[in-house]
Amino acid sequence: MGSYEPVLLKNRGVEGSCTLKVHRAGGGYAGAEKALKLSSDEVIEEVKKANLRGRGGAGFPAGVKWSFLPKDREKTILCVNGDESEPPTFSNRVLMESDPHMLIEGIIIAAYATRSQVAYVYLRVEFHEQFHILQLAIDEAYAAGLLGKDVLGSGFDLDVYVHRGAGAYVCGEETGLIESLEGKRGWPRIKPPFPAVEGAFGLPTVVNNVETLANLPHIMTRGADWFQSIGAGSSTGPKLFCLSGPVNRPGCFEGAMDMTCEELIYGDDYGRGMVDDVGVKAVFPGGISMGVLTGDELGMKMDFDDPRNFGLLGLGTAAAVVVDVETDMRDVLLNVSRFYSHESCGQCTQCREGTSWMYRIASRIAMGAGRIEDLDLLEQVSGRMGMMPGYSICGLPDGAAFPIRGLVQKFRTEYEEHMGRQRDGRAEAVLRVLN
Amino acid sequence: MAKITIDNQEIECRDGIPVLQAALEAGWDVPHYCYHPGLSVVASCRLCLMEMQLPHPKTREMGWAPKLFPSCQTPVKDGMVVRFDSGAVEQNQKACMEYFLLNHPLDCPVCDQAGECHLQDYSYKFGESESRMHDQKQVNPKKDIGPQTLLYSDRCVMCTRCVRFAEEVSGTEELCIVNRGGRAEIDIFPGIPLDNPMQGNVVDVCPVGALLDKDFLFKKRVWFLESGDSVCPGCSTGCAIRVDQSDNRVQRLKPRYNPGVNEWWMCDEGRFGWKYVHDVERVTRPRLRRGAEMETPAWESLGEIVRYRFEQQVDRHGAAKVAVLLSPMMACEEAWLLAKFVRELAPDATIATGFVPMVGEERCFPVGCNADDAKFVIRREKCPNGRGVELVAEHFGGSTCDFDGFVTKAGEGAFEAVWVVGGYSEEWVPKALATSLAKIEMLVVQDMFESALTGEAELVLPACAWVERDGSFVNHAGLIQPFERAINVPDGARRDGQYLFGLAGFEGLYSGARVRALMAEEMDAFREIAEAPRQPAHQH
Ligand SMILES: Cc1cc2nc3c(=O)[nH]c(=O)nc-3n(C[C@H](O)[C@H](O)[C@H](O)COP(=O)(O)O)c2cc1C
Ligand code: SF4
Ligand code: SF4
Ligand code: FES
Repeated sequence: MGSYEPVLLKNRGVEGSCTLKVHRAGGGYAGAEKALKLSSDEVIEEVKKANLRGRGGAGFPAGVKWSFLPKDREKTILCVNGDESEPPTFSNRVLMESDPHMLIEGIIIAAYATRSQVAYVYLRVEFHEQFHILQLAIDEAYAAGLLGKDVLGSGFDLDVYVHRGAGAYVCGEETGLIESLEGKRGWPRIKPPFPAVEGAFGLPTVVNNVETLANLPHIMTRGADWFQSIGAGSSTGPKLFCLSGPVNRPGCFEGAMDMTCEELIYGDDYGRGMVDDVGVKAVFPGGISMGVLTGDELGMKMDFDDPRNFGLLGLGTAAAVVVDVETDMRDVLLNVSRFYSHESCGQCTQCREGTSWMYRIASRIAMGAGRIEDLDLLEQVSGRMGMMPGYSICGLPDGAAFPIRGLVQKFRTEYEEHMGRQRDGRAEAVLRVLN
Repeated sequence: MAKITIDNQEIECRDGIPVLQAALEAGWDVPHYCYHPGLSVVASCRLCLMEMQLPHPKTREMGWAPKLFPSCQTPVKDGMVVRFDSGAVEQNQKACMEYFLLNHPLDCPVCDQAGECHLQDYSYKFGESESRMHDQKQVNPKKDIGPQTLLYSDRCVMCTRCVRFAEEVSGTEELCIVNRGGRAEIDIFPGIPLDNPMQGNVVDVCPVGALLDKDFLFKKRVWFLESGDSVCPGCSTGCAIRVDQSDNRVQRLKPRYNPGVNEWWMCDEGRFGWKYVHDVERVTRPRLRRGAEMETPAWESLGEIVRYRFEQQVDRHGAAKVAVLLSPMMACEEAWLLAKFVRELAPDATIATGFVPMVGEERCFPVGCNADDAKFVIRREKCPNGRGVELVAEHFGGSTCDFDGFVTKAGEGAFEAVWVVGGYSEEWVPKALATSLAKIEMLVVQDMFESALTGEAELVLPACAWVERDGSFVNHAGLIQPFERAINVPDGARRDGQYLFGLAGFEGLYSGARVRALMAEEMDAFREIAEAPRQPAHQH
């Protein structure tokens, strides 16, 4: 694996990496220049050929998404999803901090391909510093004729605005993002109409993740075949992975999607093993929303397809958080369920009530007052939520159901053991006090 | 029209309407909260989910898709096959009902909505009797959100109908959602109460007992109410309404669905404008002058007396000296009977149409829109039947005039025998009219309240309130709409229609339909009348 040459993070740590000068010195904006000489359809073709799958979580091919835009449209809006709120995920942040011009270049290419003359970068509100870095880079790009009227002398106009969120996970969901961008409450929209047909301000809209767009300059300069040569199968191209938890070297790493979860944790180029060699009890390998692996399932490939074989929803954000053997899984359950109950937007009944009910149950279990039937209840409630079975408008509750059901199913014995050690009648006593 | 299959039964329905609407209209009881035919579709309560057949992605063979679809958000397409009678659909309904009750206070015994609550009904029909939630309930507060309305947000199911109403129909946007997830609540913006001319509708659209009308609060259990289908007399829009009464007292008015007229709505002016019905000052008995004395004649003898006295006037002064003033508060049938009676006695009598109160401007909703785009209009013409009495006057022809013309002529001493009809809830008699009619020989006043005229009248007849009568009103657009009687007339009174029926020479009991049939023989307009459609039982 030592042979992997970073592409997305190549400027990380380089002095002045946020400046146009350094970015240009490394061949920056050559991809944009090349794209602007092609027709927009040719750019889309190249991106389709590369099979650039979205890095925002769902892995949908970017080129295909762009071709859903109606042919006869007049205006198009590009939204850049920098809401990055999935727990243990911070790769967009690292990317923007270390090479904001790579993102801007990607925006130019995507905007050109989709014929968007306006791009909005939706940033999560906590990204204070990153906001300033990005805004400075945008100002610099405007001054250099890379943005604004007649980008790089091509006749193509593009304005880029940074819009800062207000602190809601659900505003990372593409239609929640659009609502929030429009100044409304961040409630995901029902589909149809899909954003490609009627998105922001009623116009055809494309939403892409920051990392997805950062790949575009490289696809343009090096070509689809190069992109396809990194990784394997339908999981190709450079990828950022995040790693956190009690590992020796937590952080954001770049690599190909052909490594296993184990390599990510133990590999020399990545996590370099656990602190004090403590054992791994569980890993949430794709952000917490994708579900959980046990310590015995670390052979899972960090690609778009293998996670399904382990009962996971997908690769997600490829941000792994490791739970060591010392950790009480009741606390993990509590943490996970609190997140979704806090972040559900509250529109859909099953999500609104289900997430808060699961959190209440998890809190009681963590208090040492759980009942065996609570585990069944958690499985049932989590089994009746989510967009995929049709129970809700957006994918947030799928992301709640997978880790919670995964925890209960894969760690049931541990929960039962804890309950077995509780004082007799404690659960009932606590319930009486609560009511 | 489209043909679709629901639960193995083929039905025909309008193309493009939501499957839910089609199912409700065809008699299915599909539970739903967020859907309301008059509001935008949000598909968020997720209670109306159904199964649908789709082509298999590979084989293209039709089969049940492995997920559920919101029937409110799925438009009807010819040939589509859906079902509500499946295990997955029922499971979802059960789960939803459990969720709706997680934080619900279960205070039905003190809740106004009890008896007409879709949380009660659906729980009973689609839910389980036991909740498995034993943890602490989230208790949302009770809030006073406006001069007429309370919000018990602990009973709210977050369907957002009220918020959408304020955004999309009244356009006043007072309501909003605060907080997120399970802590989300409906609220007003700080310091801006829910106070607009249509706000009462939020109580109607609320499927549960969260939004409450202060006027009706704790007044009556709804199962003691009996209803009559009526038309609001508040303005010339002519909203179809339901009069809910018990023990002959009006308890509340509710709008009835009436496409093209008031749709699902009514305004607060109409909704709360019935209080005068139970005013103790009302004229409830006939009063006849004999010499210097006033007496209460028996209803049975009245016809003869009136006829005799009018005949005397005609003999003395000629038929041209007789006039009748038809009030736009009368039903068409009553106006027709009265005009018929007068013209038979005095063929040259003048038929005048009465005072039409005009207040302010037309008010269009959502606020700020123009009349063409309006979803609802409160009209400046504050009476229900201006058009109707005009129709009747035109039909009889001969000497007719409007109210101003009548006042002028009366001032010129053109009349010696006049029958004046009022029936307004407020003082309406212009001074000039009172002065000139004080001088004539015979004045009959049919009115609801004492006025400058009743004191001068030879005969005073009680005019009954519209809820005590039946007949039809013609609205501003010329639509003839019938209304039913909801309560009895006050003791001592008799329905206007009834005594006019007798005077006009008919025997037996008056009914609007009976008189309309007679009118239809002479007046084409009355061959067709507009009845608001019946609603499916669970359309709310
Ligand atoms: C609850 C929820 C939160 C999401 N948050 C993010 C996010 O923070 N960033 C992101 O890029 N995508 C997020 N997504 C995925 C987006 O909806 C969308 O698929 C993505 O931005 C598309 O970009 P891509 O095709 O480039 O991956 C989220 C989805 C859901 C359901
Ligand atoms: S699924 Fe949950 S987060 Fe998504 S729209 Fe519905 S309530 Fe909101
Ligand atoms: S108050 Fe009533 S109408 Fe408004 S959201 Fe709650 S349940 Fe729905
Ligand atoms: S009625 Fe269809 S989702 Fe609410």
